Amino acid sequence: MLLPLWLASSHAGLAAEALRLSGPEIFRQLCAKCHGRTGEGVKGKYADALRGDWSIERLTRYIDRNMPENNPGKCKGEDAAAVARYIYDAFYSREARLRNKPARVELVRLTNRQYLNSVADLLKHFTGSDPDLGAERGLNAVYYDSRDFDGDKKVFEREDREVGFDFGTGKPATQFTNTSGFSIQWRGSLIAEETGEYEFILRTPNGARLWVNDEQEPLIDAWVASGIVTEHKAALRLIGGRVYPLQLNFFKFKEKTASVSLQWKPPHGAQQIIPARNLSPTRVSPTFVISTPFPADDSSVGYERGVGVSKAWDEAATQAAIEAANYVVQNLDHLAHTKPNDTNRIAKAQSFCHEFAATAFRRPLTRDQARLISAQFSGKLLRSAEFHFGANLSPVPKGPKRSSALRPGLAGALEDSVKRVVLLTLKSPHFLYLGLDSGKPDDFDVAARLSFGLWDSLPDPELSARAAQGGLRNCEQVAQQARRMLGDRRARSKMQAFFEHWLQMKHVEDLSKDDKLFPGFTPEIVADLRSSLNVFLDHVTWSDASDYRALLLADYLYVNNRLAQFYGMATNATDDLFEATPGSTERSGVLTHPYLLASFSYQKFSSPIHRGVFLTRNIMGRALKPPPMAQTFKDAEFAPDLTMREKVAQMTRPQACQTCHSVINPLGFSLEHFDAVGRFRTSDHDKPIDAVSDYTTADGRTIRLAGPRDVAAFAVNSEQAQNGFIEQLFHHVVKQPMAAYGRDVPERLRQLFVASGFNMQTLLVECAATAAMHGVAQPTF
Amino acid sequence: MNALHRRDFMRRLGLSAAALPFVAGLPSLGLAAPARPRQRLIIMFSPNGTIPPAYWPEETGTDFKLKEILSPLDAFKNRMLVLKGLCNKVRGDGDSHMRGMSCLLTGIELFPGNVQGGSDTPSGWASGISIDQEISNFLQGREDTRTRFGSLEFGVGVTDRADPWTRMSYAGPNKPVAPISDPYQMYQKLYGQLKDKQNLESILEDVRDDLKKVRPLVSAEDRRLIEEHEALVRNMEREIAAYSRQKLRVGPPTLQEGIADQNDNVPRLSRMQIDLLINSFVNDMARVATLQYTKSVGQARMNWLNITGAHHELSHEPDNNAEAQEKLVKINKWFAGELRYLVEKLAATPEPGEPGSLLDHTLIVWTNELGKGNSHTLDNIPFTLIGGGFGFKMGRSLNLDKAPHNRLHLALAHAVGHRIETFGKPSLCEAGPLNLS
Repeated sequence: MLLPLWLASSHAGLAAEALRLSGPEIFRQLCAKCHGRTGEGVKGKYADALRGDWSIERLTRYIDRNMPENNPGKCKGEDAAAVARYIYDAFYSREARLRNKPARVELVRLTNRQYLNSVADLLKHFTGSDPDLGAERGLNAVYYDSRDFDGDKKVFEREDREVGFDFGTGKPATQFTNTSGFSIQWRGSLIAEETGEYEFILRTPNGARLWVNDEQEPLIDAWVASGIVTEHKAALRLIGGRVYPLQLNFFKFKEKTASVSLQWKPPHGAQQIIPARNLSPTRVSPTFVISTPFPADDSSVGYERGVGVSKAWDEAATQAAIEAANYVVQNLDHLAHTKPNDTNRIAKAQSFCHEFAATAFRRPLTRDQARLISAQFSGKLLRSAEFHFGANLSPVPKGPKRSSALRPGLAGALEDSVKRVVLLTLKSPHFLYLGLDSGKPDDFDVAARLSFGLWDSLPDPELSARAAQGGLRNCEQVAQQARRMLGDRRARSKMQAFFEHWLQMKHVEDLSKDDKLFPGFTPEIVADLRSSLNVFLDHVTWSDASDYRALLLADYLYVNNRLAQFYGMATNATDDLFEATPGSTERSGVLTHPYLLASFSYQKFSSPIHRGVFLTRNIMGRALKPPPMAQTFKDAEFAPDLTMREKVAQMTRPQACQTCHSVINPLGFSLEHFDAVGRFRTSDHDKPIDAVSDYTTADGRTIRLAGPRDVAAFAVNSEQAQNGFIEQLFHHVVKQPMAAYGRDVPERLRQLFVASGFNMQTLLVECAATAAMHGVAQPTF
Repeated sequence: MNALHRRDFMRRLGLSAAALPFVAGLPSLGLAAPARPRQRLIIMFSPNGTIPPAYWPEETGTDFKLKEILSPLDAFKNRMLVLKGLCNKVRGDGDSHMRGMSCLLTGIELFPGNVQGGSDTPSGWASGISIDQEISNFLQGREDTRTRFGSLEFGVGVTDRADPWTRMSYAGPNKPVAPISDPYQMYQKLYGQLKDKQNLESILEDVRDDLKKVRPLVSAEDRRLIEEHEALVRNMEREIAAYSRQKLRVGPPTLQEGIADQNDNVPRLSRMQIDLLINSFVNDMARVATLQYTKSVGQARMNWLNITGAHHELSHEPDNNAEAQEKLVKINKWFAGELRYLVEKLAATPEPGEPGSLLDHTLIVWTNELGKGNSHTLDNIPFTLIGGGFGFKMGRSLNLDKAPHNRLHLALAHAVGHRIETFGKPSLCEAGPLNLS
């Protein structure tokens, strides 16, 4: 693992070199002639602006060797460094460019997450909304005393928390008398936490079929038991935070034994029996999930946003539109509420198409748009869709004369019309872009801003209706809608995505540790930990208090039996996650959650630097410059009896390092009671843990930190830390620079946040409403 | 059908995952003249055994007469090879129909399982790959014989059920390949993508107009994004236009609309599938195809021949039931008629870029899961070969005297240059490939 070390880069430190010319002076004398006074370039000399992403060191090296072009010896050593530093800070770097250019609300395209959600909800718009899941977990199960689900042979119906049964050579219960076999049907829904590929694993020596998010085609068809193969696998892409229909039919016939186990391997998860918390007996309808991969969104400014279009993106968006068009046509009768032989089928399909486009565009169609859609159904276009491939070289079999449609649902002319409308709609800028409001947002713009802010998706029918009635004109109306929208799963999903970003959980792929030092830290434990963290975040955020402080200060963890054993906590024999307060170990919310402690660690050791950088930036809200040079931590280079704290102290001792490490190290050291898997420890290399250190605050005060609770207590009262959290949340929600919404916004949001008792739901509503009302006449905040 | 998994989606589009990127990902039309003469294989299946006296020629050698069932093929007699004496000697789990079907092209035992036939022990799927897939894999493994699909599996009235009676093609142990019984679905597989591209082409100009219209709505700074997007759309238009200039040898066949997948439509479905099959060969989309009529124990009711009764039930009638025998001859003769349609089309279609017709480069194997319906014997399974390109000496009737049918599969493999020592159950391959040249 490469360790970025925050070494040099103190500007103040260099002021001591008093006799030299300063960076700006050198630039004026030696560089401006060709590069322009602010590096904008000079025609005929060096026309390109000095903008880029080289580090100061690389710039220094380059200048030292090559500049000025007519006399490369003239600017060397410290001079080269000074001028490099100057141009970097003044206009060259990304930060400088952002600083020089005032923030504004930019035109953006949908992010990949927004695209995926919007297409899913666009189709859901026509299939109706799903019932609330309620609190019950597990699946509805019906047991039959026959191998063929014979209704007359139903023995009982019950709820099974999960599907993992081994009946051996016996039967499910004594009431079963049929000697040739029995059957069971499980039905309900599957709750997906994260977006990505889910692998489903069905283990049975008997016959079974599994349907997931598709009520017709089974995902796994193992109806024919065959040979020794008893494990069947299939993968499926699902959008996190959503619920999908699931059904499993199982039967035993003449096989000697009967058993069935329904497992999965979710993204970031381990293979295990699908736990009860991801199953519900409530039935829902399928969701269309685009499977076309998109190139990753830009997140160079710290949050994902849809700036920029590329060929790869355009092709992905096109392929996705084709995918959606095929899905729509295959399900046209269901979506347009018609039948293959309906005499009104064409009219219904047309009206479906108009509603499809209006929903996608988040506003009623203009006359031109409506006309364009109707035109897709005209005879001329129908003819133009004929094939125009080359001449027939051989006698092509001549079937009966071609009529208007081949067959409903496949390749008929009506279906082609519908396909073209879907393509037109999903390729249209009115679907793909946010902010085509020419600076004068109306109710529909407000609705779209709100729904993309809170859900990363299209407005739902209620929100659209409000917009149509002119009911989104003042802040209270908007906030009221926002509060309603928080009750939807999509808001939870958006918050979960925020936490993944804030806590840097997104790119954690491999958390495995040295198995000699940490036996038992299995992939299952890692998966449990991630769930434990998600459940914790979900619990705090969606409780009434929704208290941000609890995120940092909670003294409990969610553990199941497996985690409790591994972390040495009192065990209640349960497979489900429950809230438990560790005894002597001092836990403090996300700061000490073992998942994060482990992810900010090496395979063998804790990493105070990784932990410290995370705490500095994401908990304390302080900025750190990128490390001027990357240095690898090599354990072998240290005396073997040193503690990790001693090694880090030694490594970062040079004055140049201390500019940043005087902040990073004390925060990192405060977590030294936790090893590389987040277990509490009292010693390191046979020396007692020292977690106490003096931390210098941004305003120059020194405070003593004795452990994570001190860090958390300091953070919740620190305006800087609060601002950091608020800004991160705002950017995740709005995906535009906060500074573009007015100078007073940060402080206003902070005061509201504090006054609400640090209520994150309130903050979420305020962030979304602030952005939604931007530029709308008479904001009354 | 809902929520397609990506791989599934690509599969249904008939694309491999490697076929992206976008426009470049359009199927290769593969229209260049081939580096070596094309060899194609079609395996046609019809069920429930034959009526031996009305099927097997009395004579062996080059001088033979076709009996009633094979009489529709008389015009092609000198291109035929009638192989009597081939036996499916695979034993083990499953009843004769199941083994007849699922061991027919695999030549290897079925796994034990939970599917119970009318007799014997229950079984699962075949424990090996089938010869059509084996040969397709071989051809797909060579640059100069690779095609978009490799193999296509056509069905006619197969019924929507997956079990050892309905599957003869296997991609490997426990991997049955489902034939596509719905010609519209096959059409979509072969040409859906081209159609998509065409629909796309027809809307891109409107998309560009749309972008042009929103340009004034946005600030000068944001305009660049819209302009870049416009350029991408223009670029895609150009790419698709360039692609569209490529020609298919033949366009897709026109299919009659609304032919439902049901018993009385079997004659029409059969012709539609054959038309698609020939079409896919002319455009060189595949070199191997199977054409499966109904399934083992298939119950086609050939009302179009004024035959009352279902095929499998009739096949159980004893030899002395003259009426049933007569019906069964008619049924089997109808299949031979469909085969004649296929052969005639192949003979009438010039081989693209090479001398001769498609038939000169295509070998058809017509077979059945049983030797005889009422005895359920797996001996003397009907195997009639028609066509050319495999180097077999045609125009003959042979009696192979109880040779395991695995040896025919070996001969097919060797004829395309795939020199495997055994196929299916090794002990049934001891005498090596049949010598048919």
